[in-house]
Amino acid sequence: MKNERKRTFLLITIPILALFVCFNTIPLIRGVIYSFTNFKGFGSYDWVGLRNYMDLFTDVRVGKSYLFTFKLAIVTTIVVNVISLILAMALNSKIRAKSFFRGAYFLPNVLGALVVGYIFNYLFTYIIPAFMDMIGLEAFSSSILSNQNTAWIAIVVVCAWQSIAMNTIIYISGLQTVPEDVYEAGGLDGATGWKKFRYLTFPLIIPFFGINMVLSVKNFLMVFDQIMALTKGGPAQSTESISYLIYNNGMSGGQFGFQSANAVVFFIVIVLVSVTQMKISSGKEEQL
Amino acid sequence: MIKKKSNWPVMAFLICGLMTIAFPLYMTIVIALKQPTEMTNSIQGILSLPKSWSLANFREAMRVTDFWHSLGNSLLITVVTVVLSIVVHSLLGYAVGRNKAKSKFYSFVYLFVVSGMFVPFAILMMPLAKQTAELGLGNWFGVVLLYVVFYMPMNVLLYSGYLVNIPIALEEAARVDGASTWTTYWKIIFPVMKPMHATVAILTALAVWNDVMTPLVIMAGSNQNTLPLAQLNFQSQFGTNYNLAFASYLLALIPILLFYIVCQKQILNGVVNGAVK
Amino acid sequence: MKGKRIRSLGLMLSCIVAAFSIGGCGDSKNDGKVEVEIVQYKPEAANYFTMVEEAFNASHDNIHLTIHSPNDAMAILKTRFIREDYPDIIGIGGDINYSYFVDAEILADISGYTGLSNIKQAYLDIGESLELVPTDGTYAAPYMANAAGVLYNREMFAEHGWEIPKTWDELMELCEEIQSEGILPFYFGFKDTWTCLAPWNSMAVDLSPADTAKQVNRGETTFTKEYREVSEKYIKLLDYGPDDPFAFAYNDACTAFARGESAMYPIGSYAAPQILSVNPDLDIDSFVMPANDSADGNTLNSGIDLQFCVTAECENPEAAYEVLDFLYKDENIQQYIDAQNAIPCKEGDFTLSPILDGMHEYIESGNMTDYQDHYYPSEMAVDAQLQTFLIEKDVDAFLSKFDKDWQRYNRDIIRLVQEYETSGAQ
Repeated sequence: MKNERKRTFLLITIPILALFVCFNTIPLIRGVIYSFTNFKGFGSYDWVGLRNYMDLFTDVRVGKSYLFTFKLAIVTTIVVNVISLILAMALNSKIRAKSFFRGAYFLPNVLGALVVGYIFNYLFTYIIPAFMDMIGLEAFSSSILSNQNTAWIAIVVVCAWQSIAMNTIIYISGLQTVPEDVYEAGGLDGATGWKKFRYLTFPLIIPFFGINMVLSVKNFLMVFDQIMALTKGGPAQSTESISYLIYNNGMSGGQFGFQSANAVVFFIVIVLVSVTQMKISSGKEEQL
Repeated sequence: MIKKKSNWPVMAFLICGLMTIAFPLYMTIVIALKQPTEMTNSIQGILSLPKSWSLANFREAMRVTDFWHSLGNSLLITVVTVVLSIVVHSLLGYAVGRNKAKSKFYSFVYLFVVSGMFVPFAILMMPLAKQTAELGLGNWFGVVLLYVVFYMPMNVLLYSGYLVNIPIALEEAARVDGASTWTTYWKIIFPVMKPMHATVAILTALAVWNDVMTPLVIMAGSNQNTLPLAQLNFQSQFGTNYNLAFASYLLALIPILLFYIVCQKQILNGVVNGAVK
Repeated sequence: MKGKRIRSLGLMLSCIVAAFSIGGCGDSKNDGKVEVEIVQYKPEAANYFTMVEEAFNASHDNIHLTIHSPNDAMAILKTRFIREDYPDIIGIGGDINYSYFVDAEILADISGYTGLSNIKQAYLDIGESLELVPTDGTYAAPYMANAAGVLYNREMFAEHGWEIPKTWDELMELCEEIQSEGILPFYFGFKDTWTCLAPWNSMAVDLSPADTAKQVNRGETTFTKEYREVSEKYIKLLDYGPDDPFAFAYNDACTAFARGESAMYPIGSYAAPQILSVNPDLDIDSFVMPANDSADGNTLNSGIDLQFCVTAECENPEAAYEVLDFLYKDENIQQYIDAQNAIPCKEGDFTLSPILDGMHEYIESGNMTDYQDHYYPSEMAVDAQLQTFLIEKDVDAFLSKFDKDWQRYNRDIIRLVQEYETSGAQ
């Protein structure tokens, strides 16, 4: 019986793993090989040894992109998870027109980057400054997108606006696994509000909180679409994310080899960050 | 059941939040109905209603994108990807989720697959373009296979996370009746994970529906367009027809929105609660 | 029992894979005709090329032509190259990508193509000089050019009696005059970094040697020396633009200019369709950017916008040449010009768009110089560096960074050039 179970698990795992290795690991290894060349993306190339990696650590632009990306990822992850958790609980409570609200809150995630880019550009460039002017806050009457100290805030706003939907869905499906009787028991103990959330709900959805944290950090570390839609790395190169550099200079530009090296290092960095996160959240799970 | 008190605070909160969505949506719709000559940089100009109500932009957008054809391709790719993802990823999620705590091998497989999520697509793109072409997969099915691989990390993470909350006692009962692991999976575990299937379906479908890069790179030169690829026709460096583009984005939004509404009912009907009791 | 199921599932999956991988190769509709495929990178001209494709196929029995005008054609071309799936002809711009393709030996030598003799020498020369190191043979047939300078609102100029400036001082006086009448002289869309290059290019051709980048590669000069005057003059333009030019994108600037919010807009002729889509009645003309202090020093900033290259893998160059002959027919060129406000690279008597009226004498006399940015590697992001410079207004910092980054991003090219120089000297 035990053997049968083991064998079934292996029969499931091996073919799927093979598919994964074929279309993820092997191309990744090929990519890593390019990172030791000066390949432009086409034509012939030379081996350059570790030159790309040496350059990487002395490249100011890459350094700046790491700072920007991490700042963005941390702030956005916090903002998004706080809002989506609140939203998920609101949408999961007994309210009227639940389907309508759920549908409506999902919309931002479906609108294409061109639409989102245009609308938010318009909002930041014309509408918000005019509004600030109207209520007399002249200090805020210029576009936050044109100032290199504030442009990142605009990106946080748009990233959050778009991804809250997805995080909310995951939280909602997590809340679905919380059995009603837990609340009933809690109700008898007189747990309400914050206490109920902290000691009853939250511990049960920690796996989903963990997943959301990992996914958010990963998504925002790899931010690309919103940058393309809003700032294209400007003003004054203040919003160049790591993915933006990898894609723009590696694919559109002729720096494929160098940006492959950047991608390899970036991959290792995100894996480290995420493994740490998963360790922490599974530690929490056991603790509770 | 505890009778809930008035939910007005929650409703009020939700309605306020809705404003942040209604406003951009209003702008999208108004712009989709206007003509390029009605575009201005003044606020009244952009927020005003169109001069004439006409669906001409939508008709033109459908013509330019070869709408039904592109929609067909998009639907095909999305549906096949979602079905394959649910089957393949839930199986792996199950195998891994049930074993990773005890077995070094499965915990390695878990970390190995999940770490695939962090590979920047740009580094995979060139090798994948070459590899799919060599395998004769430079077509929509190649795109589907790649999606199944790309979303495997996230979905396996989700499935194995969900399994933590499904008690193993459920399976043991079936096993006592002499059912094999394989049958138990399909008869008991698979149906119980329905809310997660719905979640995976919607997340995967959404990612696939809006993706431009993979079909662009893999199907390049095959003359087949997906909707997002066709929508690229509206923008070029020196000029973008926002009115047509917005109309076409609104059209593309409808199928995925309907799909979401269907799925979210499934997310709601959590089976686990009933099963555990 | 379960083993069987797993196996049948596996079988099913492999069947599906097999079925579709076969289905993928079934698009050869060869009925004895030679297939010629073009991929060209200007999606805005897609309608024109569909028309050409239909007309060509209707009049030719021996050749079947397919033209693709995809968006993001560069990404598509590069991925097709890596798959070794080469179109017969590619239509690209005369910029550094072309230089790379020549260097990578992807393109065929077309010096045997007779149609080259009808192309203006000025553009053939531009094509030659784009080669990283002088290479024997011709690799591109220039098709269309564009020009950048200053677009102006002709009606507004006539109304106020403003004159077209011929020198830098005249331009500054004009700006003062326009401003004193309460009108904004220039609009800028510097939020989109690439628009920062438009005034830069059109001023740099007046003030720096045409081959500045190549001179630097040979180690003969520095950008700090050659670009100082351009940089200093560029900052002065900012005084005559909107308060916060970095808030507005290309599209905003086009709309604003179309609505008469500024008298002039320093951009290329390619912006005209976008401007006219907002205001079809606007009467636009253009003039050459007068950055030099003497009128004789000024030259029109014009480069190859679209050129056709035959790939080395093309099996039937004769058929490709026949397609090129068709594209170079006068009536086809005229149609392209009308739709895109372009300048033909072919000799002949064509009717140019009224938007180019002010540049006409320069075009006629061939007084044209290529865009400086066609020599910049895109990953160096000179456009973003210019934007930074315009925000910070620090000429020295900008120029020294330019020189420093240039060495870093062009390392391989510089090595190539210097190897060529030393081998040539021996």
